[in-house]
Amino acid sequence: MPKVGLPPGTLILLILRVVRPAPLHGYAIAQRIRQLSSDQLSVEEGSLYPALQKALANGWLKAEWTTSDTGRQVRNYRITAKGLKQLETEQDDYQRMADAITAILEST
Amino acid sequence: MNNWFRRVWHLLNRSRKERELVREMNEHRESMHDPSKFGDTHRLLEYSRDAWGWNWLDDAMQDLAVGSRTLLKSPSFAVTATLILTFGIGLNLTLFQMIQVGMLRPPSIKNADSWVRFLRSAPNSTTSTVPYPLTQFVNDNNNGVLAAVIVEYQSDLAWGRDAEEQVNASFVSSNWFDETGYGAERGRMLSETLDTRGDAPVVVVSYTFWRNRLGSDPNIVGHVVYIDRKPVTVAGVAAAALPGLDFNVPEVFLPIVQREYFYPQSALLRSWDIEAVDMYARMAPGTSAAVAREAVRTTMQAAAAQHPEITRDEWLEPLLATNNFMRDGERQGVLAVISLLGALTTLVLVVAAANLGNLVMSRATGRVRELGVRMALGARRTRIVRQLVIESVPLVTMGTGGSLLFAWAASTTIAALGGFPPYMNFDIQWGTIVVAVGLALISLVVVGLLPAWKIAQQHLIDGLKDGGQNVSRTLDRTLLRRIMVVSQVAGSCLLLIVAGMMIRSVQRAINSSAGFDYQRAAVLSMPLGRYGLPVDAQRSYWYQVKERLLANPEIETAAIVTAAPLGGRINETNYNATPGLRTMTQSVDPEYFATMQIRLLSGRNFTANEPDAVIVSRRLALEMYGGLDVLGREFPVSSGDRNATPGREQQVSTIVGIAADAHSIKVDANDVAELYRPLKPGDFSTVELIVRARTDADRLPRILREAAMLDPRVIPTARVMHDDFDRRMQGPRMASAITGGIGMLTLALACLGIYGVVSYGVALRTKEIGIRVALGARQPALLQSIVLQVLTPVGIGAAIGLVLAIPTGLVLGSEPFYLESTDPVAFAAALAVFASAGAVAALWPAFQVLKRNPVDSLRHS
Repeated sequence: MPKVGLPPGTLILLILRVVRPAPLHGYAIAQRIRQLSSDQLSVEEGSLYPALQKALANGWLKAEWTTSDTGRQVRNYRITAKGLKQLETEQDDYQRMADAITAILEST
Repeated sequence: MNNWFRRVWHLLNRSRKERELVREMNEHRESMHDPSKFGDTHRLLEYSRDAWGWNWLDDAMQDLAVGSRTLLKSPSFAVTATLILTFGIGLNLTLFQMIQVGMLRPPSIKNADSWVRFLRSAPNSTTSTVPYPLTQFVNDNNNGVLAAVIVEYQSDLAWGRDAEEQVNASFVSSNWFDETGYGAERGRMLSETLDTRGDAPVVVVSYTFWRNRLGSDPNIVGHVVYIDRKPVTVAGVAAAALPGLDFNVPEVFLPIVQREYFYPQSALLRSWDIEAVDMYARMAPGTSAAVAREAVRTTMQAAAAQHPEITRDEWLEPLLATNNFMRDGERQGVLAVISLLGALTTLVLVVAAANLGNLVMSRATGRVRELGVRMALGARRTRIVRQLVIESVPLVTMGTGGSLLFAWAASTTIAALGGFPPYMNFDIQWGTIVVAVGLALISLVVVGLLPAWKIAQQHLIDGLKDGGQNVSRTLDRTLLRRIMVVSQVAGSCLLLIVAGMMIRSVQRAINSSAGFDYQRAAVLSMPLGRYGLPVDAQRSYWYQVKERLLANPEIETAAIVTAAPLGGRINETNYNATPGLRTMTQSVDPEYFATMQIRLLSGRNFTANEPDAVIVSRRLALEMYGGLDVLGREFPVSSGDRNATPGREQQVSTIVGIAADAHSIKVDANDVAELYRPLKPGDFSTVELIVRARTDADRLPRILREAAMLDPRVIPTARVMHDDFDRRMQGPRMASAITGGIGMLTLALACLGIYGVVSYGVALRTKEIGIRVALGARQPALLQSIVLQVLTPVGIGAAIGLVLAIPTGLVLGSEPFYLESTDPVAFAAALAVFASAGAVAALWPAFQVLKRNPVDSLRHS
């Protein structure tokens, strides 16, 4: 089955969600989204960075350079308190929208 | 961290942050199996910038760069436009600067908000000076509403062992420096404990006097100097920033309590009769001017009970330092003048900005194709407007910078030429910069926004098909463009008329001075009252001096008068019968008319011992009686007539003669008439002596001084009258030269505007005109069709200018301008100048195109 693109506006939600447990760098974020969605959702590699910049600009994430396990310099993104709040809001919004769509689809 | 702060921080570190992002994306790409799927790093970088919200800034910087480059490519336009704005904004800034420094800022003294000046007021009159004993009485009995009373008495004194120089001196109360809050540059200031009445006379010199006249002598303190031939010790040099309480800063300060050391016979400190000193006070904390007025009113009643010189209905009227010690009426007058000047300078800015807006619009129409391409590629109209506005920013910035320089140079020059006191600092202040930025923003709207908005409204994409010809033509005919021409013409027309009025008023003043001959006259002054001479002795002193002078072969005639023409204090009356006319009363001896060469039109001169005779000027006769047949008629007595002889009932005066109009006191006023009375014994404490030279007045002052030294104590001063005249005319001459200059510059701007509109219209129609010429059209018809397009806006503009000139003229007709308000010559001259300059500006480009070979015109694209 072909992979599906992300529904519009959900990329930030997913990024915030996957960095919540532990800080991750850009490549790892993309991998993690793919992995958690069992390869169903694909993040266009490039579009990840404008979204990360938006999250940085709004203070939802913080970035810091560290050395990865493979010895490479990577920039890890860590969620902030403001980011956690944003995640909660976006998650609620998404849930309500999904419920509404499901309700319509399941109606007779 | 606040979102805004974070974004600004990012902006400040943008290049480093973007390098890091690129590095991060490269790392990511290298980790991928198929790096080509990552996408274009540059494009992603662009999107990332969007996330921080600074892309508009990049666009603006680009537009700014384009604007600056365009300006660099057309230096002549850049220079012209900068000069236009420099002139337009600079003139307004100069006015603002002058007003701020000179008029609206209260004197910079300690506790300025609790200072007042007291005027002596009665129901029908007000005088600015009061008797010295009254100030002391009020100081001692004011129910605690006044914290201090400060006294100043200005007079010219002789300086040097032989009294060879004159100084502008002030006798002040010893608390003057403590209360104004200025310490010493060297030595000490006057002190209430040290400088008491008596025997150790001291003087404090001003900083400017110390620097200019005493050569900055470092050892001056303790030196003995001579003032009115008496030795005095220099106590100190005042601080450089010391302001005067009015515009005058004295050169030397003397304690008023030591005045009798100089003039032992002077009654100034004791007499309740002599109104001489300026009285200031610092109100006690928490006291308002109204409370002080009422408390002091009680004091005045107490004074009236003890001293017959004070009447019970008098009071002291407080004027606040925060209002620059001006009465409400005066302050409103000053504000009215300021508003009028402000309106005129604003007009100049309107003309300048409209002119430049027109130029910018004409230039932008040449870029219709480029703008069309941008719109075809997806730029929105707002983006086009933004681009065009930002492109004007460098222009406006240069103009604003230039205008600040202009304002500084202009106000410093005016201050230098006008002899403004040195404590007035005309360096550019923050307030001026704020006003400059405000005016720059307004100019940006006219120069950038309006044309840009108009251009962006056109069908720019269609302009791609015909090279923008259609759009250019539409723009050429827009209402905005016409409004700009109308406002330029109206503004410059009005300014020219005002300039014409001012030039004419100076001319009139010079002509009216032909009513008396000042060129060969000189004036002798000596305040004999100071030396304690009784009135009779004063009188005989003056007549002895007159005799001696008449014996001198250099001198043709001599006359004694209470106020010499072009100077001197004078009694001014408004008679009920002539409400619009101010009558200047002088007491003169019969030789006055011959000395000043004022003709007696009818009747006779004064004879000895007829105290109730008067001679009226022609204008006074005409306005008061409606004709010249007034000999033998009674002249009304005015309530405030101070010539009334004390102790005698005022008699009705009889007119014995009519003199030609002389305007000898206020040469530049047009609402004055003269009234002459014979000299009375009481006048001799304030008189002056005028002499007329047989050949040259410049030799007279020395002769006058020598003749006056009958008593070695007396220190006379003498001056030639043409110096007074030049000084009197300096202000009006300067003002009319400045206004004339401004008028001519705005005229040049308006002509440039007309020229621009016509030449642009001609350029658009070159091909059409070529065809018409080739087909044999006649030149007059073609010229007419070309010039017609500017005729309507120019006509409307001129009409608006003319109509506005009438109320402006009426305002200028009153104090302090006294211009001829509806001067037909000024109107006609302004219109003639405007019409000829405008015609040249309109016809020049038209002739140029008609001179061309029609075949060349046809090839024009």
